[in-house]
Amino acid sequence: MQTMLPRFFHFQNVYKYYGPAYALRDINLAIAENVTTAVVGPSGSGKSTLLQLSNGLERPNAGRIFVFGQEMDYARLPALRRQIGYAVQGTGLFPHFTVQQNITLLAVLEKWEKRRIRARAEELMNLVSLPLEFSRRYPHELSGGQQQRVGLCRAMMLNPALFLLDEPFGALDPITRHEIHDEFLRLQKSEPRTILLVTHDLKEALKLAQHPVILNRGQIEQSGPCEDVIRHPANDFVASFLKTQLEA
Amino acid sequence: MIALTFFHCFRRLRVMRSLFVLFAACTMSCETRSTVIVGAKHFNEGYILSEIMAQLLEDRGVTVERKFGLGGTKICYDALAAGAIDVYPEYSGTIAQAILKLDHPVGFVELQEIVARDGKLELLDSFGFNNTYALALSRVAAGRLALKTLSDLARVPNLRLGLSYEFLNREDGWPGLAKTYNFTAQPVGLEHGLAYQAIQENKIDVTDVYSTDGDIKKYDLLVLEDDRQYFPTYLAAPLVRAALDSRVKKILGKLTGQLTETEMQSLNAEVVVSKRSFAEVAHEFLLAEGLIENRGSARRDSRWTLLFARTATHLKLTLIALLAAMLIAIPLGVLVYRLRGMARPIIYLAGLLQTIPSIALLAFMLPFFGIGATPAIVALFLYALLPILRNTAAALFSVDPLLKKVSVGMGLTPWQRLRHIEMPLAAPTILAGIKTAAVINIGTATLAAFIGAGGLGEPIVTGLALNDTRLILEGAIPAALLAILVEFLFEMLEKIMIPKHLLQKAAE
Repeated sequence: MQTMLPRFFHFQNVYKYYGPAYALRDINLAIAENVTTAVVGPSGSGKSTLLQLSNGLERPNAGRIFVFGQEMDYARLPALRRQIGYAVQGTGLFPHFTVQQNITLLAVLEKWEKRRIRARAEELMNLVSLPLEFSRRYPHELSGGQQQRVGLCRAMMLNPALFLLDEPFGALDPITRHEIHDEFLRLQKSEPRTILLVTHDLKEALKLAQHPVILNRGQIEQSGPCEDVIRHPANDFVASFLKTQLEA
Repeated sequence: MIALTFFHCFRRLRVMRSLFVLFAACTMSCETRSTVIVGAKHFNEGYILSEIMAQLLEDRGVTVERKFGLGGTKICYDALAAGAIDVYPEYSGTIAQAILKLDHPVGFVELQEIVARDGKLELLDSFGFNNTYALALSRVAAGRLALKTLSDLARVPNLRLGLSYEFLNREDGWPGLAKTYNFTAQPVGLEHGLAYQAIQENKIDVTDVYSTDGDIKKYDLLVLEDDRQYFPTYLAAPLVRAALDSRVKKILGKLTGQLTETEMQSLNAEVVVSKRSFAEVAHEFLLAEGLIENRGSARRDSRWTLLFARTATHLKLTLIALLAAMLIAIPLGVLVYRLRGMARPIIYLAGLLQTIPSIALLAFMLPFFGIGATPAIVALFLYALLPILRNTAAALFSVDPLLKKVSVGMGLTPWQRLRHIEMPLAAPTILAGIKTAAVINIGTATLAAFIGAGGLGEPIVTGLALNDTRLILEGAIPAALLAILVEFLFEMLEKIMIPKHLLQKAAE
């Protein structure tokens, strides 16, 4: 068995099964710092499970997961999760909170100073081009794209070193999705972060990530730079996946 | 913000909790009082006799507390045995059969000895009259059918008998009577206070009466002769706790032999027919017999003062029970949500409590809590549990799973999730549960008068005993208005506490 030094964020021989059915099988994956890694695959490939293992929403049946260079400590998950930005499909904004309350919730719980909270919220809203007068609105008063931006602000509030994004752009119409993609790339360019993105859309993965990971039936079929994946599909599955997804 | 408002409420609850504890402590210290507590069964004669005893004691400088309108023999007797009251008027026949369950007839003196045997209670000498059970029907019908005795009655088929629940069920009531006279009719049960009106409106033909009823004259009824001497004698006498101050017993002894059946009938008629107050009738009787001196007429509270006091009591009962139920049911609902395995047993148990009839639950409270406000509050508390518990658990279970997942993934601790996300999202449904419980409690609290807790049920209970519709409405209308007002207040509270778009969502 190959030995690996504990790196920033990686999976080592990770297995996850639900009853007799494997969701993930012998996953070995190192996620590079300050780039975007996109896990892409058809539904049922195990990509959501992989993401949920990353912040302890699921636990592996075997293998080890290292986050921030440390093996995951399941006894202090809330503290770990606060260092990980988390955004999901359909935004998951809290309907009883205003935009401002949604964005600043974690900072309030961390007992930040009021002035610091307000300054950070304004900074983030400017960053994603949200008008500041939206602060007092409730999520249902915003469009889907605006809600998505609020969701990203919330994930960025504590300035985490790592982001987990679970199909965050899946529910958006094509035009809005296109806008948000551009925004995402602009943010990454100005201030690169470590991002693990899960998507079923290969085009999106290739557009946003430097490092796609192709998952099928709980196993990694291929991972590497975009160029490699496009030019040299590792096997028949990757080749046909590329073909169907890119032609669609 | 909502979360904050919600938890401000919780903080306020803490104050109420200490009040509740204080309240419980007060009712428990009843052993060391110097006040004499006079009880009364909820029928007019019970009220009059108790009022006579109370006023006589007051005249001799004894401080008296009145616990009138207690719902039946068992409640009165249990209250006396538990020391929650000191004295109430009882009948020899009732003591022998319904309480002591003696299987043979005994004389009054022998009965006094049996009662005194375990040293707890004492039956004082009789007021002098025998108020026995009897069956009666309208004079017109009796004349038409040529009925004079119970044996005559047994020969007429298809008569409609409407009997009071107590008479229907007690050993010395209907079961024995039917056997003695071979009655074949199937009686229906009804509230005694409604029986006379039922006869007048030709809904029933025959009902049970007491031989001293003032109504017999008012409704022009004929009392059928008990030609087989089935009914035992029911000599009325004060039943007291043996530990009662001997001076008090001596004062009550002044009433021995003071009332004949006809005298009692006319006192009853004064109240039932002439609609005069118990206090006035009792006062006049005591004056006429020279038992007290005239020191001005009996004190009478104005109608509005009474209404206000009753409403305040009613609200106090309802509110304490409701707050206590919230304190228990909301955390219990959270527990049910967190420990799913417990959900069914706990909710079934709370549901079971809901199915116990109010009067039965109140009677069941007696041995533990005596009479008065405490057992009433405990019963109301039990009734309020289910709506709050069920709504709390259901609301928490139905919070959007995506929001639950996000709040976990963001790094909120279980307590933070509950406080900032789950409870605020569940708040509209929980509030609706509290509203339901409050409205149920205001209705049920009217029954609390049967165990001497007072409130708006008091005029209803008295009105039923006297067949006085105006008196019933005096309690029923404010109670209904109160229910509407509470509903309205909760709607206001909803508007203040919960953002509009969440309310609409809850309504869907």
